[in-house]
Amino acid sequence: MTRYAHARRRIFPFCALALVLAGMPPAAAAPTATLTIFAAGTLAAPFRAIDDAFMREHPEVKIEAQFGGSVKMVKQVTELHRQADVVAVADYSVIPKYFFGRNGGKAYSDWYAGFATNAVTFVYTPRSRFADRIGAKNWYQLLSQPGVEIGRSNPDTDPSGYQTVQMLSLAERYYREPGLAERILANAPKTNMRDTETELIAALQSGQIDYLAIYRSDARQHKFRYLELPPQIDLGDAKYSGFYSQGVAHTANGTLTGKPIVYAVTIPFDAPQREWAVKYVQFLLGPKGRAVIEAKGFGAPARAMASDAAKMPAELRSMVVPWPKSP
Amino acid sequence: MSAGIIAAPRAAQPPRGLALAFAFAAALLLVFIVLPLANLYASQSGAALARVAAMAEVRSAIGLSLAAALATTACAALLAIPLAYLLARSAFPGKPVVEAIVDLPLAVPHTVVGIALLFVFGRTGIVGAPLEQWTGIKFWGTAAGIVVAMLYVSVPYAVNAARVGLEGVDDRLEKVARTLGAGRWAVFFRITLPLASRGILTGLALTFARSVSEFGAVIVLTYYPMTAPVKIYDLFLQSGLGDSSAMAALFLAITLSLFIASRYLFRERREPGPTPAR
Amino acid sequence: MTAHRLAVERLSLRVGAFALSGITFTVAAGEVLVILGPSGAGKTLLLETIAGFNRPDGGRISIDGEDVTAAPPEARRIGFMVQDYALFPHLTVAQNVAFGRRFGAASADAGTVEALLERLGVKHLADREPKHLSGGEKQRVALARALAASSRLLLFDEPLAALDAHSRGQLRRDLKDFLRRASVPAVYVTHDQSEALALADTIAVMREGSLAQVGTPSAIFNTPADAAVAEFVGVETVIEGKVVAVADGVARIDVGGRFVHAAGILTPCVGASVLACIRPEDVALAASPQSRSSVRNQFPARVIATEPAGPLFKITLDCGFPLVAYVSKQSYLELDLANRGEAVASVKATAVHLIAR
Repeated sequence: MTRYAHARRRIFPFCALALVLAGMPPAAAAPTATLTIFAAGTLAAPFRAIDDAFMREHPEVKIEAQFGGSVKMVKQVTELHRQADVVAVADYSVIPKYFFGRNGGKAYSDWYAGFATNAVTFVYTPRSRFADRIGAKNWYQLLSQPGVEIGRSNPDTDPSGYQTVQMLSLAERYYREPGLAERILANAPKTNMRDTETELIAALQSGQIDYLAIYRSDARQHKFRYLELPPQIDLGDAKYSGFYSQGVAHTANGTLTGKPIVYAVTIPFDAPQREWAVKYVQFLLGPKGRAVIEAKGFGAPARAMASDAAKMPAELRSMVVPWPKSP
Repeated sequence: MSAGIIAAPRAAQPPRGLALAFAFAAALLLVFIVLPLANLYASQSGAALARVAAMAEVRSAIGLSLAAALATTACAALLAIPLAYLLARSAFPGKPVVEAIVDLPLAVPHTVVGIALLFVFGRTGIVGAPLEQWTGIKFWGTAAGIVVAMLYVSVPYAVNAARVGLEGVDDRLEKVARTLGAGRWAVFFRITLPLASRGILTGLALTFARSVSEFGAVIVLTYYPMTAPVKIYDLFLQSGLGDSSAMAALFLAITLSLFIASRYLFRERREPGPTPAR
Repeated sequence: MTAHRLAVERLSLRVGAFALSGITFTVAAGEVLVILGPSGAGKTLLLETIAGFNRPDGGRISIDGEDVTAAPPEARRIGFMVQDYALFPHLTVAQNVAFGRRFGAASADAGTVEALLERLGVKHLADREPKHLSGGEKQRVALARALAASSRLLLFDEPLAALDAHSRGQLRRDLKDFLRRASVPAVYVTHDQSEALALADTIAVMREGSLAQVGTPSAIFNTPADAAVAEFVGVETVIEGKVVAVADGVARIDVGGRFVHAAGILTPCVGASVLACIRPEDVALAASPQSRSSVRNQFPARVIATEPAGPLFKITLDCGFPLVAYVSKQSYLELDLANRGEAVASVKATAVHLIAR
């Protein structure tokens, strides 16, 4: 036999063996279950950390998480009929609106729990206009100056978009400056809008826009400079929800009134891995989960707020308190 | 000596088994392409299509896509043909590097393209800032931005196809034309370009196709005004699958007709001619 | 009509490892210079340099006395005929010819496109596309095109190489006729000896970038300048003659007073000038004339020289015209050609190869 033929005889089975070995999963604790999570884009940072911690504690589970606009994530379930084990949104009201089967549509879930809070703010860079002198006292005057470019997300498709508009209408009342919202929004025309505000971070960094309306958690995570807005208008404190309700945003989906920003989670009826989903939410609402959430810049109340504790899985009921009624 | 009618020889048929296997693979690929789109069409109701076609925003998005793609194709023609000619005709040090650079846009993720273009053509960009200052042309949120994004991702198609077309032109024809008194420019426009036109036009058709479908790079620079792919996405977010797939079907119908028409226009013409007399 | 003239003086050009050196020749109106050489000799490079596609390192090219060495191709007014004639495939015949007219120098000599098509007998093809033309038709269109451009010189780079032998012969004749009547000089490049013999007034043998010998065809073939040229031209006996009679397929050719008989497929006309070629292998030698033999040509000859050539001997004879024969060593010894001063050379008529001039 020629040398070539000899080599071929040896190499071929070796390659085959190598391929087989490469394809084999590691022998120790192969995951047997896959947990599918759809979550709002702004929850990406805390959820990734929580997912890693959860998978370390439970190696039998593999978590596949997808992040995007809250409405887009929810529509993956309602329109594209994808199956999710856990769904988390940036605006708690998105869950009842799309999942509870109102207006005769199909019902995907019947409860939600608010586990984190956030506030609306503006971030900026040293290059931004007025960066040297902007502060809590004068921000609204400087931002309404012509020539300032402000970016925000689309109120028709993204909660932070309409929350920003609500915040501006609250600012108008708070500072008693009629027309303030309109002037500021004039600096944030359609060309400065995107589907989610995180898509505008590149624009901020390139200097295309001076200020970007974004969540405080994102500001802290990306270590951007941000404005400290009065808690009465920044939708960050549930005790002001009465005042918040005076803020409005007119969107393609209707007129939306202001509510505190509360992140909510639910487990859809048809979750393929129901037991694991419950364990995950337990982790999320528990001390370890809350620690991560705070570390990522969000507010984490001691007890999550439930829309209807009775409808929740039994294991979770003790971890929640009823939703505070708006005064 | 009479030549008689000389019939063209029949091409030797490939062995039966090979022909069948190839036909099968070809059918599989064509089905792969057509099935998802045909399914999209089948699931549309005439009412949905009519409703979507009635929306002014939908029509203007489609119009904007077609217009921007056309502008991109024109720019590509101007920029790509000279480079393709250099690559086809001359040898120079570093030619493989240039060839690799031409192919670069194919490998870059679209969002990255958009962000990179933003840093150059944006308000503070090295090109965008002076351009905006002196001419008032902006690339953020404008048709110009759309064209820049489309151009970047489709340039490889234009250059490579034009190059193939130009390489197919026998340079002896160019030499003979020179000896007949035509200068270099005349030779290029009267001999080289017409003979390379099929390859060049194919490249431009590909450029148009690639431009019209671009989403990721366009959306970083220009969200409003919306091109068709952006509007389809927006419809999905706002009203759900029904409207967005109806618009997709409408848009595809238009672009498909354009592609078929262009393939017919630029097809190789096989005309029967008189047999040469001896 | 103006008579044009090409003069090339000491042309040299270096391209990578290859170099043209010391190329010198002149060609007058109506004259054909054939550059004959093997592949790689630099023939195409030389032609392209004369056409203006390469800038020579040294030397001069002048047409009608005008120095065009530095001029771009479009200013030289040269017709360039390449293999298959390079007609523009996207233009009709008329448009091809008109191309020369449009860009070439305007000249009263050239005449209108129609006149040129008529003159070259291709007017009926005016709207045809080049791909539907035969080889001969293409040649005529290409010539019309060059004339329309008021070409002062025609350069041919083996334009007939792709054709079959029969068409080649026919087109060569047409071309020779045309060039004889034209007022432009022609430089024709080929590696084919019979083509060279058929067309040339002067042959320049080219080898490795330089001209080994420039002269008339019979000078080149009968008195090669050196062994290399001789080797290339094959040491055939090439003699000029005139056809005095043709009967039964056999032509009788007067070569300087002696008569050579040639039989072949093509019989020339009486009165035609021909070159008779005889391969040394076809010459048989005998001590005395053979009385009954089918050989039509028997010449008493004086043995001028004998020389070993491998397994054979090369015998140079004088029959009234120079004749070279190869004989085997055995024959050489049997006939005692070393000492014998005279012999009878016989050549079958069918072995005499005629080339029309």
